[in-house]
Amino acid sequence: MILFDFEYEPARSLPEASALLSRLGEGARAMGGGTDLLPKMRIAITRPTAIVGLSGIEPEPPSVTAEGGLRIDGLTTLAALARAPLVTTNLPMLAESARVVGSDQVREMGTLAGNLCQDTRCLELNQKHDYQFKAKCFKRGGECCYPFPNNRPGRCWSVYMSDIAPALIALNAEIETVHAAGGRRLAVAEMFSGQGIDPISLEPAELISAVITPPLPANFGWGYHKSSRRGGFEYAIAVIAVTLTLDASRQACTDARIVIGAIREKPVRVHEAERVLVGQTIDDALFAETVNAAVGEARPLRHHGFSRSYLIDNLRIYLRRVLIRAVERARGHASTT
Amino acid sequence: MLEARSAQAQSPAAVRSRIIELTVNGERHEILVKPRNTIVEVLREKIGLMGTKHGCEQGACGVCTVLLDGRAVLGCLTLAVECDGKSVRTVEGLAQGGQLSPIQQAFLDQGAVQCGYCTAGMLMSATALLERNPKPSIAEIKKALEGNICRCTGYNAIVAAIQQASGQGVEPVMR
Repeated sequence: MILFDFEYEPARSLPEASALLSRLGEGARAMGGGTDLLPKMRIAITRPTAIVGLSGIEPEPPSVTAEGGLRIDGLTTLAALARAPLVTTNLPMLAESARVVGSDQVREMGTLAGNLCQDTRCLELNQKHDYQFKAKCFKRGGECCYPFPNNRPGRCWSVYMSDIAPALIALNAEIETVHAAGGRRLAVAEMFSGQGIDPISLEPAELISAVITPPLPANFGWGYHKSSRRGGFEYAIAVIAVTLTLDASRQACTDARIVIGAIREKPVRVHEAERVLVGQTIDDALFAETVNAAVGEARPLRHHGFSRSYLIDNLRIYLRRVLIRAVERARGHASTT
Repeated sequence: MLEARSAQAQSPAAVRSRIIELTVNGERHEILVKPRNTIVEVLREKIGLMGTKHGCEQGACGVCTVLLDGRAVLGCLTLAVECDGKSVRTVEGLAQGGQLSPIQQAFLDQGAVQCGYCTAGMLMSATALLERNPKPSIAEIKKALEGNICRCTGYNAIVAAIQQASGQGVEPVMR
């Protein structure tokens, strides 16, 4: 039961929703599926004065852009995203990343834009205990970070848990936003502030209308892995998303994007590791070198009970497997779905 | 998190209630709800259908699963105001004319009910699965039930019940 009252305003279009958010002021929040916002309201981490409901807006089906990529409506539910034939055939990596989010029910409710705009999480923060109202952490407006007591004042190390954002960054996707002052188009990687307190750097009344992916080059391969304790209906231990392109002989890597999610305040792109990989002939030693560079650069926060050394071991094992899988796909050895 | 610090909730008197129109198991209702009421609260407290249970209220356990326009959703994370004009199916709507639905009968036949608290949600998730995929594999059944937690049965009997209901050669064990 939600223990406080709020206004509810249904929106019929995104521009109308953005205008409503501006009019209702800073206490207003937009709600797509509600699977991130309502649990936070239950434990009173967030107390909106008004909710602008987006569930009445019908999303457009995914379509192919003029450039040959895909355009996916932000309000597409994750279930629809995972099932859409255009997505499963053209961007199986995105369909896979949507399929591993939450449960069937969460995927039927949650939207793509909502998944990207989800708040960061922390084992201490996302609980309801009396002491959390008395002795608040930084994110609740208090004076100490309990999981990291030596943290700099105001610095929150909660973790951004989206399973889809790393895949979209690896695919070099962009988002299109709607805002009263005019929408904009920006890379998915640029929508994050890197701050645990306020992880999404969009304006308060700015809403994601669509995600646009570029066309895929020839000899393109991808790999994706979400680690979790039970293998279903969980937030990730770590998410690894890799895309790479091989040269015509399919022996050397010409381009790579390696993104690790659910380990810090935003998805981490490991540029150093990408530089190790690009321009080299693929072999086992190169994989090992890439993995070493990536774990050195990723600096995972210990989160949700996992120690840093455990997370590094996890990354070592799965990043290598994901790289191998991506190369197999680029060489056409494995089925692309 | 700015709103956590600065914004206080409005007083209840300032918040308007709304009348929503809801079709529950084929029956039309007009109900007065506040924006904060979830669909489970409305089903249990305003309509009196106690089959759908309150569980974790965080979307983590699945006992409140209902079918909203045919899609399995979490009743605890669905605001009733968002269901205006929609159709809801609950566990009470599965049996027709005093006859249990095949999936309900299969749950009994396989001993897939112990304390019974998760059962309503399990049945609704299973119903949504079978409507989408009439012959699911074991892996597909497990994937479809990942959002429903059961602390008694160990799940095997539930998976067997869905196989039985979908006519995949699993015989009743409780007769």
